[in-house]
Amino acid sequence: MSASTDSIDEAGRAVPGVERQFDGGRNGEPKPAAGGPPRVSAATLGIPLAYLAVTVFGIWWIDIRPAAVAAGLGDIGRLLQRMVPPTTGPVPALLTLTLETLWIALAGTGLAAIASVFLAAAASRHFTGPRAVRWLAQGIIIVTRAVPSLIFAILFVRIFGLGPLAGALAIAFHSVGMIGKMMSDVFEEQVPAPHEAIAAVGANRMQNFVSTTLTRALPAAASLVIYRLDINVRASAVLGLVGAGGIGVALQTAIGSLNYRRAAGIILAIVVLLLILELIAYLVQRAVAEHADEHTESRLFAPGKEASTPGWNRSRLMRTGAGAAAACLFLFSLGQLSVNSARLGQAWGNATALLAGFVPPVFTQDILLGIFESVIMAFTATFFGVLIGLVIAVLSTRHLVTFAPLAFTLRGLVVFVRGIPDIVYALIFVAALGLGPFAGFLALTISCTALASKFFTDSLQNVDPAPIRALEATGANRVQIFVSGVWPQFVPSFIGNSLFTSDLALRESAVLGIVGAGGVGFLLDESVATLHYQQTAGILIGLIVVVVALESVARWARRKVI
Amino acid sequence: MTAPLPTPESGRHTVAPQSPNHTNTAPSLLLENLSMSFGAKTVLREVNLDVRPGQFVALVGPSGAGKSTLLRLINGSHSPTGGSVTVLGVNPATCGRKNLRKLRTRVGFVFQQFGLVGRLSAMENVLMGTLGSLKMPRYGISTYPRPLREKAVANLERVGLADQRFQRCDTLSGGQQQRVAIARTLMQDARIVLADEPVASLDPSASLSVLNTLKKVSAEDGFTVICSLHQVDLALQVSDRVVAVRDGSLILDTPTPDTSEAAVRAIYEKAKGRTA
Repeated sequence: MSASTDSIDEAGRAVPGVERQFDGGRNGEPKPAAGGPPRVSAATLGIPLAYLAVTVFGIWWIDIRPAAVAAGLGDIGRLLQRMVPPTTGPVPALLTLTLETLWIALAGTGLAAIASVFLAAAASRHFTGPRAVRWLAQGIIIVTRAVPSLIFAILFVRIFGLGPLAGALAIAFHSVGMIGKMMSDVFEEQVPAPHEAIAAVGANRMQNFVSTTLTRALPAAASLVIYRLDINVRASAVLGLVGAGGIGVALQTAIGSLNYRRAAGIILAIVVLLLILELIAYLVQRAVAEHADEHTESRLFAPGKEASTPGWNRSRLMRTGAGAAAACLFLFSLGQLSVNSARLGQAWGNATALLAGFVPPVFTQDILLGIFESVIMAFTATFFGVLIGLVIAVLSTRHLVTFAPLAFTLRGLVVFVRGIPDIVYALIFVAALGLGPFAGFLALTISCTALASKFFTDSLQNVDPAPIRALEATGANRVQIFVSGVWPQFVPSFIGNSLFTSDLALRESAVLGIVGAGGVGFLLDESVATLHYQQTAGILIGLIVVVVALESVARWARRKVI
Repeated sequence: MTAPLPTPESGRHTVAPQSPNHTNTAPSLLLENLSMSFGAKTVLREVNLDVRPGQFVALVGPSGAGKSTLLRLINGSHSPTGGSVTVLGVNPATCGRKNLRKLRTRVGFVFQQFGLVGRLSAMENVLMGTLGSLKMPRYGISTYPRPLREKAVANLERVGLADQRFQRCDTLSGGQQQRVAIARTLMQDARIVLADEPVASLDPSASLSVLNTLKKVSAEDGFTVICSLHQVDLALQVSDRVVAVRDGSLILDTPTPDTSEAAVRAIYEKAKGRTA
């Protein structure tokens, strides 16, 4: 779920330290309705209707018939049977590729973190430099967020050749937009008093930025970067599909050589890796969040040897140690990218050839159809994913269901399903069902279901239980309780999260074509492989325009609904 | 906050205390026909003021009278629409960006909101007061030169907070935070300190302690203080001279011993009567 995990990036929910700042109502914290009927806006009605319309069209376009789905599931079942029992193949080779995945993610995230500090400073409302610089920074943020990392990977493989360097840069480019955006939000929300005070002592802008702005943003920024690292490990696990290094290379080889048992072993290795990292990320996040409101231990340093030198205590040791460890890991990961001067020498020529080849961009009918198909796939899959996800969420929420084992099993299943990147589903489905949007649609539906059910479970858990208890007391049945007591509270977050799911599904459906699962990704991959760069540029521009436009519509709609 | 303030240790400060009535030196601050308007709204009109070095001037007047604007004109945050400001012989509105930064290192500013970075230690916040004299950005106490660090400890001691130097600023009380902000200003070796409602968000005992600290260090180092205040009684307790502003005009300017509390209160009463 390389992009589905992006998920949270906007909603900001999984970033504990920064959660409050980013909430902005976007992830729809359900506010207990203060009496009176909930207000139904045009958006609340219009959005579901629009989705329904697109889905009806999509069912026809993708040719989703119950018989075809049943036959398809049968084919997939037979393929899955060929995957058991999973084997790993030679373990050292797999381990090397797994580590390479980690280094790609670390290097990419680190580079993005460093670059995004400058980008965020320039893009923030408080930037006092030339307006053109601010616009440029904001433009970079929008574009890099709209282009999935796999697409960057295709371009960078062309420039830097096969291997982890292209992968790390692809990760860095896609992450910089998201980290930059959220960091500039953090900067903008700071109270201006310290900045004014330090300007008044005669400090220059750079000093003031470091001492007041950056310093205050540090806990939130650390939290953001760790969170993004988690997403990036998922993303780098599949970069190998386009030759950009990591464990995806092994997966590609295994499936290409029809060694499905080995493919299953690799997928399991990816899932285990991601789950372990998610746990680590969670623990680190918690530690950072604790430091951010560290009021229990008000003394930051122990007294040092002299009055003016800070001494060491546990808290300072931990902070310094964590910072040093992060820096060492980052530097080491840079060293693992197998950068060599010969390749870098060619890179400049390749990059200029690529960029020069972009002009003038060409828009063909095929490109438009491809983008159109990606959009249709994403929306149709979102529709089904959201519906199934809602059912799963209701069944796995504690205060709605009394049968705990069911809730527990469903949650475990969702965690496992979410652990597999969705392009991997597409890869398997294409192997079982053949090329075309149907495989992509199924893959997207699975990832949308998992994602939506996670979002919905989270927000259903925050529903105010008082109305539920009150309705129970009147003797209402379960369905009545849900419809009257839960749904009105839940609907804003339902729509907000659904829009968000479709946002991510769109980015993902743009790359599924790389493995032949429909949409514009196939054309993009092909245009780069056959050096038709003008078409590449056309596809990129079309994709960015569509993603940004739909994102703006979604943002507008969320504001209307929430 | 109720703890007694530390007594000044003699011989630690090289600058001899100056008498508030020194008249043979150039004024610290000279305002000539100073006017300021934001669009159609006139905030200050034709203000004239001449402040000698070492004076502690209390600037009183109802909210919206123009006190904050006056202070911001003096440190060059705003440029006047009429008349001129001369601070320590420099006109902040016309001296240029670089000279303004240089001027600001000699003009301290104390804010109502303290302007401290809450997650850093008191010591590091105080050290930030020296950034104007350093070139590069700094992060962490150890990145500041040793002499500055020693000076920071000494200044924290002068405001009575040496023991709290390694404490997170946001765990200090309001009065302590404002004293950290004063220590930060002391790092600048400022010749004039502008304080904009420094005690408006503090309780009475903390207010008195903060103002007494400011009074004490200004007497020790002989710098000028222009302090805007709401509380008339506090103004009369700590200042050498009371200047009152209302509706943008200077309506009272007397040495504190000659100022009656009733006269100052009347300024607020009249303002209230009109707005009611």
